Amino acid sequence: MEVAGSQDITQELSKEMFRAVETGIKEEGERLIELQIGPAHPGSGHMRILAWVDGDVVVRCDPDIGFVHRTIEKLSENRAYIKTIPLVERPSLLDTTPMTIGYVNAVEKLMGVDVPPRAKYLRTILAEITRIASHFYGIGILAIFLGHSTGFMWAFGDREVMIELATMLTGARITYAYAIPGGVRRDMPQSFPDAVEKGLRYIEKRLKDWEKIFLNNPVVERRLRDVGILKPNVARMLGVTGPNVRASGIDYDVRMVEPYEAYDEIDFMIPVAEEGDSYARGLIRFKEIEQSINIIRQAIKKIPDGEIISPQISRLFNPLMKKIYAEQRRVKLPSLMATLKPPKGEAMARVEAGRGEALFHVVSDGSTNPYRFRFVTPSFRNVILFKYLIPGHRVADIPAIYGSLDYFPPEADR
Amino acid sequence: MSQPGIKDPDLNSLLSILNDELKELVSKIYADKTEKVIYIEVAKERIMDLAKKLFYLGFDHVKSVSAVDYPREKRLELMVHVGSYLRVVRKYTIVIKSSLDRDNPRVPTLTSVWPSAEFHERETWEMFGVYFENHPDLRRLLLPEEFEGKWPMRKDFRIVTRKAGEAEAPWK
Amino acid sequence: MMAVVIGPFEIPGRLIYDFLHIFILPGFGAVLVLVILIIWAERKMAGLIQLRYGPLHVSRRFGGILQLVADLIRYSFQEFIVPRNVDRIAYLTGPALALIFSIIPVAFIPVTPYVEPPIYISSNILVVLALLSIAPIFIIVTGYASDNKFAFIGSLREAFLMISYEIPFIISILSMALLYRSLDMSGAVDFQARYLPGILLNPSAALVAYIAIIRITGRFPFEISEAESELVMGPYTEYSGLMYGVSMGIGYIKLYIYSMLFSIVFLGGWLPLVSGDPVSSYLIGGLIILIKTSILMLISVFLRSVYPRYRVDQAIRLGWSQIFFLSIVSMIWSLALSYVLR
Repeated sequence: MEVAGSQDITQELSKEMFRAVETGIKEEGERLIELQIGPAHPGSGHMRILAWVDGDVVVRCDPDIGFVHRTIEKLSENRAYIKTIPLVERPSLLDTTPMTIGYVNAVEKLMGVDVPPRAKYLRTILAEITRIASHFYGIGILAIFLGHSTGFMWAFGDREVMIELATMLTGARITYAYAIPGGVRRDMPQSFPDAVEKGLRYIEKRLKDWEKIFLNNPVVERRLRDVGILKPNVARMLGVTGPNVRASGIDYDVRMVEPYEAYDEIDFMIPVAEEGDSYARGLIRFKEIEQSINIIRQAIKKIPDGEIISPQISRLFNPLMKKIYAEQRRVKLPSLMATLKPPKGEAMARVEAGRGEALFHVVSDGSTNPYRFRFVTPSFRNVILFKYLIPGHRVADIPAIYGSLDYFPPEADR
Repeated sequence: MSQPGIKDPDLNSLLSILNDELKELVSKIYADKTEKVIYIEVAKERIMDLAKKLFYLGFDHVKSVSAVDYPREKRLELMVHVGSYLRVVRKYTIVIKSSLDRDNPRVPTLTSVWPSAEFHERETWEMFGVYFENHPDLRRLLLPEEFEGKWPMRKDFRIVTRKAGEAEAPWK
Repeated sequence: MMAVVIGPFEIPGRLIYDFLHIFILPGFGAVLVLVILIIWAERKMAGLIQLRYGPLHVSRRFGGILQLVADLIRYSFQEFIVPRNVDRIAYLTGPALALIFSIIPVAFIPVTPYVEPPIYISSNILVVLALLSIAPIFIIVTGYASDNKFAFIGSLREAFLMISYEIPFIISILSMALLYRSLDMSGAVDFQARYLPGILLNPSAALVAYIAIIRITGRFPFEISEAESELVMGPYTEYSGLMYGVSMGIGYIKLYIYSMLFSIVFLGGWLPLVSGDPVSSYLIGGLIILIKTSILMLISVFLRSVYPRYRVDQAIRLGWSQIFFLSIVSMIWSLALSYVLR
């Protein structure tokens, strides 16, 4: 029994698209204008969008990515296992923590190391803090692509609150390298729970202002409603992830599907919308910020006391490291971890980053460097929407759809 | 949308269903020790039939298409991660592994079954040299157009920088 | 009129008045000062709403008022690059001509009931409308002359929107002229002195005129032909240096003239001034008109902090369906009212 005719959908999609291009090019000759919304353009980010336009309607769209390809996978083959942890953060510069958590989970599966519960909760708290910061970035980019400069400035201002909290926890603003195989590197300071509560209350207050100026703004609704409608079947076939697929009615979230870290002990909801248009995608991000606030509050309340690093690692500490760990609750990496040699095999981990599902597959041959590290980011899986979702819309809808997809070019290019 | 025969998402029952459905096609099916990932090894001629069967079982999108280079064994191992949005089987990821000849790796394209593989196959082609037959649009994705090397992710690609003033790229 | 004697020269008062009217108030001097202040106010207001400072460091004690002067000085010294494939004459003269045709109407607008403006035509409302509708043509030419697809699309958008919104604007102003029974601005103010300000006599005409002003001068939410995230700067994409400064200024100078026209036709012009001698009536009348103009300009630039921009087809549809319909309604209302107030 067939589940859904993917054959039909691909052929339908291709036929529709290429028919328009062929008739345009053959019949009218010079009717189409090729717009190169290139890398040096205020509305394009680090990529080039090639759009063939008939009047004001886009007939064909080709995303030209790869401008910030930094060869993370190749680099990791020549470096020790722990050196890839900061490397994996760099592509997705906005929600760095889920990337490190995913990679570290894969390495821990290879090594067979368990993580103490307190470390799991700390990783979860930081992951949700970065998720809120990442969603604010996406909302800010959506606002500025529509021309709403107030939304842009407010989003980046509110994001600062989360970044300050992360600085309090880890010492860095955006790239933390917080998770290491076996646990985390630092414990949370005494004043952290109160600061978190203050920050979360401020964000909740701001979300009400956001509703008035952005979500209920008549011009925003005109620009975003019924623009870029992604039907659930098409989303399934194209493999879209993250808030984009949740706005089309499919409630897929890796935190619920395959819970990792402390997510199986925390109660939270997955916001889902049915319309699948750009407005729904923007709205889902706001609702996810509310859910993340909920998760952080529960995690802070439920966090157990205990070690933050697995005993398999802490028994390798020398006396100085033991002293620092006992007094300041800070982990100094033992030198054996720099030349970590996991047993031969392979392991896979997946996490829910701010933009969707990220996949990490590590193949080890018993040496100090990974043999192969395959790393797929959510934005790379969402690039296909540029090719299939934009044709049929107008030129002014290109930034609206792009902003609502929350596509981040460095994350897709890795 | 329910699948025939899959009543509960228990790993053992899924493995037995897979074994029943696929036993003449594949060489090996096993799960890894965390019990969330199922590895299937298949010969490259059977990969399309396997893909269609997996699609009918509910695995509707591709999470990653890539390859692992084993130069000493003279093979490229194609590695396809497949997943599902359907509630019944969304917990499991299936990894399809297939060995390809390193000197002329050719595989039929998976986009006729899974449209989500389109951009992943482009990346695998430009990085490893795996040619996907009948792909609708097989061209460079991440590398710049003027990049002159071949198959950068293979193990025998020389990573050197070009000195200023040198006309020819040393990595050819 | 009186004459002023300086040494052996006798300068007629008429010449002095013309000089003051064109160069100081409400001419170039007032335009410059008001535009600088309004742009500063726009950036400061937007900054304070958006949780940041806005212009601050230049002239710190006065809240950064001289930021615009600093910007102007910078634009004057920046290299003006002319791309190779542009149509040179159109490229070099386009913005300048748009600016000239935006500011010429100043010579026709009276600011006091006692002295005639430098060029007095009894149908000066019509003349001002005609001159103002020439400026968009030069903007379209500018976009076409720059050899750039985004500039071309920007000028196409400007062309479509010009037609959709100038027509309702002209209809609404003419309906007020019908009501006032004169195409002369002094006649308009006299009528408003006798009855009520135009905005209360014919609210739909005022609404149509205001929305059309926001579109024609390119204020949010109608900042469509220069949409930054879609077309880098619309028709002005390829400009740098002083011409870039000129392009930025065109929108604000048009806003000044249109707001002055609106305040004379709808808000009573130089009322509540009714009597006085020429000198004081010139100063006080001019000041009152400037205050009304600047209040309108402040409201128009404030909208930047609230609204994003419309899509071009949505704006055109709005112009032809609701705005055009309202302008016809205002015309019918004027006819009815002028019959009643016979």
